[in-house]
Amino acid sequence: MSPLLEARGLTTVFETRAGLLPAVRDVSFTVAAGEIVGLVGESGSGKSVTGFSLLGLIDPPGRIAAGSVRLDGEELIGLEQGRLRALRGRSIAMVFQDPSTTLNPLLTIGAQMRLALEAHGGRDASAMRARAIETLSQVGIADPAARLGAYPHQFSGGMRQRVAIAIALLNRPKLIVCDEPTTALDVSIQAQILSEMRDLARNIGTAMIWISHDLAVVSSIASRILVMYAGRVLETGPTRDVLSAPRHPYTQGLLDSLPAHATPGTALRQIPGSTPSLVDIGPGCAFAPRCARASEACASDPAESVAGNRRWRCHHPIAAVA
Amino acid sequence: MPGYALQRLAQAIIVMMVISVMVFAGVHAVGNPIDVLISPDATQAIREQAIRAYGLDQPLWRQYLDFLGRLARGDFGRSFLYNMPVLDLIASRLPATLELTLAAVIGATALGVPLGIYAGYRPSSILSRAIMAASILGFSVPTFWIGLVLIFVFAVNLGWLPAGGRGATVSVLGVEWSFLTLDGLRHLLLPALNLSLFKFAMMVRLARAGTRELMLTDTIKFARAAGESEWTILSRHVLRLIAIPIVTVFGLEFGSTLAFAVVTETIFSWPGVGKLIIDSISSLDRPVMVAYLMLVALLFIVINLLVDLAYAALDPRLRAQHA
Repeated sequence: MSPLLEARGLTTVFETRAGLLPAVRDVSFTVAAGEIVGLVGESGSGKSVTGFSLLGLIDPPGRIAAGSVRLDGEELIGLEQGRLRALRGRSIAMVFQDPSTTLNPLLTIGAQMRLALEAHGGRDASAMRARAIETLSQVGIADPAARLGAYPHQFSGGMRQRVAIAIALLNRPKLIVCDEPTTALDVSIQAQILSEMRDLARNIGTAMIWISHDLAVVSSIASRILVMYAGRVLETGPTRDVLSAPRHPYTQGLLDSLPAHATPGTALRQIPGSTPSLVDIGPGCAFAPRCARASEACASDPAESVAGNRRWRCHHPIAAVA
Repeated sequence: MPGYALQRLAQAIIVMMVISVMVFAGVHAVGNPIDVLISPDATQAIREQAIRAYGLDQPLWRQYLDFLGRLARGDFGRSFLYNMPVLDLIASRLPATLELTLAAVIGATALGVPLGIYAGYRPSSILSRAIMAASILGFSVPTFWIGLVLIFVFAVNLGWLPAGGRGATVSVLGVEWSFLTLDGLRHLLLPALNLSLFKFAMMVRLARAGTRELMLTDTIKFARAAGESEWTILSRHVLRLIAIPIVTVFGLEFGSTLAFAVVTETIFSWPGVGKLIIDSISSLDRPVMVAYLMLVALLFIVINLLVDLAYAALDPRLRAQHA
C-alpha cells in the first residue's frame, strides 16, 4: 500500500541578504494513513518550514527549490494555486503554535468556522452550523452551540487551541500538520490536549505530523519520529526504538538533556555549542562541530544508512543494542 | 455603559470650556473690529456709540461672561458684517462644505483602501508601484497648485467641467444640495477631486502598510491553511483587521476638511464655510469667528466619539472593556 504522504528530497530555501539559506535540505519521509509521525528538532532546525512546505505555504523570499511531495498520489510541488488551495484544509490541514495569533480576533469562532467550511463548498447554513458544533464537541468544547457566537478573546489559551484544532478538523482532512500546538500552553493543559489528540486521531483515522522541540511530548504521541537538525533529518525510526537505542549522537544528546534522564540534584546535561548558521553551512555533517564522536570523516556528507525500519545519517553511529 | 457616557459628556464640557476661553482670547488678540467697521473719519461720538453697541467697552472677562450667558440661551450673536444671526449664517453655508467634504473623503477612502490593500498584497507588481507613485504625488504636490491645474486642464482647455460655483441645487428639507442635480455634480467633481488627492494618498499608504504587516501574520497563514481563497482572506480578514486606523484617519480627515477646506473652496469659488471663516477673519467679524471655532471644536468632539463607537463596533475586545 502506498503511503498517504510521501516527501522525497524536499529542499526549501530562503533568499536573504546574507545569501541563500537552505532551511530544509533533502528531507524525505512518509506518513501512512492514520499514523502519527513526530518531527523533533531545536529551533531553527527546519521542522516548521518542513510543515509549511507540505502545504505550499512558503512566502517569498522563501521557495521550495527541489523535491517532491505526494499526497494520496498527487504531486503537490508545482501544483497550480487553485488546486493547492482546494487541497488545503480538505486533504491536509495545519494547526499553529500560538492560538492567540492564529484566530482572527474580530470574528466570532462561528464565523471563522463558516469561512473554513465555505472554502470547501459549504453552502447550507444549518448544515455548516451542525458540522461546526460537531467538531467543537469533538475537541472537548462544552456547550458548543452557545460558544459559536463567542470571540477568541473569550476563550482561555487551551480552549482557543482546541478551537483552532476544530477548524483544522472541519473538512475531515486526511493529514493534519500540528506545528507545536501545545508549546504555548500550560503543562497540564498540554498533557490533556496531547492525549485527546491521540484519541481523536485514532477515532477519526486522521494522520498527523506532530512538530515539537520537546522530545518528551513527541514520544508520548508519535509512533514514529524524525529527528531534524540544521534542515536535515538525521535519524528516523519507530519512536520506542529511537528513544531506547538512538543511533545518531545528536539524538543521544537530546535524550541526555531530558530532565527525566538526569540524576536529581545534578546539573542537566546539554549538547555543547549551538545550532549552526545555515547560510554558510558546509558540505559535511552539520552536527560535527558539537559532536564528541566527530572525526575527519565528518567533513564529508554522511550517506543515509538503513537497517530495517530505521535510518540515520552518521559516519560514527552509536552501535546498535543487540 | 451609562458611566462611560457620563464620563465622555463631562470630558466634552471641559474641553468646550477651555476652547471657548482660548478662542475668545485669541480672537480678541487678532485685532479691534471697530477699526474695520467704522470709517476712519467718523466722529468720536459715533465711534464711542458703536463701541458701546457691540459691548466692546466692557473688560474682556465681562465680554466673555456675557458671551457665555448668551451661549447658554443658544445665542451665538449676530455677524457684524452680514447683520444676521451667526448660526443662520453658518447653517446656510455648511451644506455646501458638507457635501464637498463627504464626496472627497468617501471617494478617497472607497478608492484608496482597495488600491492600498492591493499594493500591500502584491508589493512588487507594476500596478502597485504605480499606485505608490501616485500616492507620493498626492502627498507632495500642494493642493492649491493641483486645483489650478485641474481648472486649467478640465475647465479652460478641455471645457468639460465648470471652473467654479455650486451649479444647480435642489432643496431638500429646506437645505440646498448640489449633488442631487447633474449640473451640481459636474460642479462638485473638480473641487472634490482636488480635496481628495491628499486623503487618497494617505488611505493608500495606511491600507498598504496594514496589509503588508498582516500578510505575514499567523492569522492569515492559518486562514490559508484552511483553504480559504485569497479573495476571502482579503475581503473578510484583512479589510476588517486594518479597519481601525482607517476609521481613525477617516474621522480626523472628515473633521479637518469640513472645518478647513479653505484653499479649495477659494480656488473653486465654492460658497462653503471655509470661505466664510476667511472672510470673517479678514473683516474681524468676531461673532462669526468665535462661533465657527466653537462649532469646529464641537465637531471634533462628536467625531472622536463616533470613531470610538466605531472601534467598539469593529473590535469585540474593546466592547468588552466598556461593557
